[in-house]
Amino acid sequence: MATMSCVLEGNRVKVAPYCVAAFGKAIHALSRIGEELWLDPMVKGLALRSVNSAHSAYTCFLFSPMFFQHYSLGSGSEQGSATIKCKLLMKSVLPLFRGLNSIERNVERSQISISTPSDRVTIQFFCRHGITKTHNLHFQESEALQAEFASHLCPNVLKAPARLLGDMVMHFPVFQEEITLSMMPLSVSFRNYCEAGNDHMKMMYTEMSLHPDEFDYFQVGVDSDITFCLKELRGFLSFAESHSLPVSVHFGATGNPVRFYIKDMVLEATVVLATLMDSEKRGPSQPIGPPHPSSPRCADAAALPAVSYEADGSKPQDIPAVTELITSSQGSPIINPPALMQLLSPVDDPDRLSVSDEACPSATTTPASTMICSLLFRALSSEQDDDGCAARLPVLACHSDAEEDMEEDYRRSPSL
Amino acid sequence: MCLRFSAAMPLSTQSQADDEQYVLVASLDNARNLSNILKAITFKDHAIFNATPNGLKVTVEDSKCLQANAFIQAEIFQEFTIKEDLVGFQVNLTVLLDCLNIFGGSSVPGVSTALRMCYGGYGFPLTLFLEEGGVVTVCKINTQEPDEPIDFEFCSTNVTNKVILQSESLKEPFSELDMTSEVLQITMSPSQPYFRLSTFGNSGNAHYDYPKDSDMMELFQCTKTQTNRYKMSLLKPSTKALALSCKVSVRTDSRGFLSLQYLVRNDDGQICFVEYYCCPDEEVE
Repeated sequence: MATMSCVLEGNRVKVAPYCVAAFGKAIHALSRIGEELWLDPMVKGLALRSVNSAHSAYTCFLFSPMFFQHYSLGSGSEQGSATIKCKLLMKSVLPLFRGLNSIERNVERSQISISTPSDRVTIQFFCRHGITKTHNLHFQESEALQAEFASHLCPNVLKAPARLLGDMVMHFPVFQEEITLSMMPLSVSFRNYCEAGNDHMKMMYTEMSLHPDEFDYFQVGVDSDITFCLKELRGFLSFAESHSLPVSVHFGATGNPVRFYIKDMVLEATVVLATLMDSEKRGPSQPIGPPHPSSPRCADAAALPAVSYEADGSKPQDIPAVTELITSSQGSPIINPPALMQLLSPVDDPDRLSVSDEACPSATTTPASTMICSLLFRALSSEQDDDGCAARLPVLACHSDAEEDMEEDYRRSPSL
Repeated sequence: MCLRFSAAMPLSTQSQADDEQYVLVASLDNARNLSNILKAITFKDHAIFNATPNGLKVTVEDSKCLQANAFIQAEIFQEFTIKEDLVGFQVNLTVLLDCLNIFGGSSVPGVSTALRMCYGGYGFPLTLFLEEGGVVTVCKINTQEPDEPIDFEFCSTNVTNKVILQSESLKEPFSELDMTSEVLQITMSPSQPYFRLSTFGNSGNAHYDYPKDSDMMELFQCTKTQTNRYKMSLLKPSTKALALSCKVSVRTDSRGFLSLQYLVRNDDGQICFVEYYCCPDEEVE
């Protein structure tokens, strides 16, 4: 019998932000991304993950055992016992954590447990006045969801207090879907992204620039404009701000995915967003800028093994080596899809292009998502994956089974 | 219903002769003391009004399974004159509330709508004189012959389980009840879990447990373990009454019928009562 049980302190007992409300805030951030929540209890902590239906946005919150008052796995003390991994509907979980203020006021302790025989996740809130709320939610067993993202291979790195990024994105209206982050040796700018065909006379263009000195860490390996979905990032930034954590941003050339990352002693969180391939669509006020090297940086890095981003954090000292790699690969022919795919998923056919036609239609995707060519990963979760068309998209990163060796029956298959 | 706007004429200067024709005259300096409590039972359009020398009782029913009553004692009114032992009529409650709020219902301190409610008897409309800031509005609402309210035969001697809780502790659970659950299950027992509300929805089930020694539990008298289910659609409207109240008593009888009684304080701190009666959906165990 596989089990997991963890206990969270309420705000009244333990100092915020390590508490139930913080956990709830993470759920809020996860809910901005996808409609399903993957729970993956591991020895190193409890991972909560979500991905959007177009597979262009992925987020993971990892709470180490120290975040919890109590954290235990397994039915006994066997280290090798299988842990249950499950998937829940976001709409089942989010309402439990919707009222964060009320949780902060009333909840003294919370317990989350998963146990296989009953196929239920039990979330209990022990509240003031002796009142107990118990929720037993159905879950589906599922393979873990994980994206591989080789941060250390990214030529561009920024690190800034969450507050700085929050202040920047605050200037964009809530309905602004995508923004473009431009990195150049002497500046970083954010501007709103407008699709071609929109009436330019009716649009309001917003652009903000920052000097490299504003950042805790600034490294430009390659000038680039990346356009990504802002909506999916807001929840994460809000969480980062509430914990006053600096945000690391790793990215490369236009079209490659971007990773936002925060970490402290008891938790770490990541958002990986795909970026638009086509960077020529800009507002009329934008300068054309220097020509971007269009070949992926890592064409010559095929020999590097794929590394799980969780082990990596941000290691700026690795970056310079990659920067050298960049200069030597200037002028190489365009390889599309990005060559990171070749690193991680040799079974995939790199000639499968025309991603935009294959992108899974979904009411929840943003308009530009259909043009995003980088598929971050493939969640090879048995038969639950309903995106049949995802099989034909190039895979940037593969489903990882690095953590648990017991998934022997897990099949890595190119088609779902 | 027709509206007539009069020149500034305070309600109190209406001639006494007018009053001779009415079998019921009830006045309030603040119409909110009536409208607020009526909102707690407005889940159907029509309400039965029954007035006695003790005060006013307003009843709303749903599908013969649910009944809500609001009681406003005669003492709450600045004037309460009744010429018969029992005066009964039926009106459209939604229209009545619209009239009571005709001045916009803004809660500016010190400014309130005064009400004079008059009824001439069988066949007459319900006449409302409403005044705010010197402006008087007269509303006449058609009345119908009152239906006989259902007698749920709920009597104290038959009560098996009773608890009184501070409303504060129930407000949040009630507002976040899983609406995909068709029923609300109430378990009352002299042993664990003492008092439990349960839902069974699409995502799974949820339980809200109140121990008998909770400081929110003002009274705990449970003699027998009982679990009953009630249709969620019938009980959900009671959330409004809960929101207004400071205490609620929950009682079940041997048949599983549910009585919810809410103690409501109005704007002036006076006490009124709202009660809900509900038939069980089915008996469990």
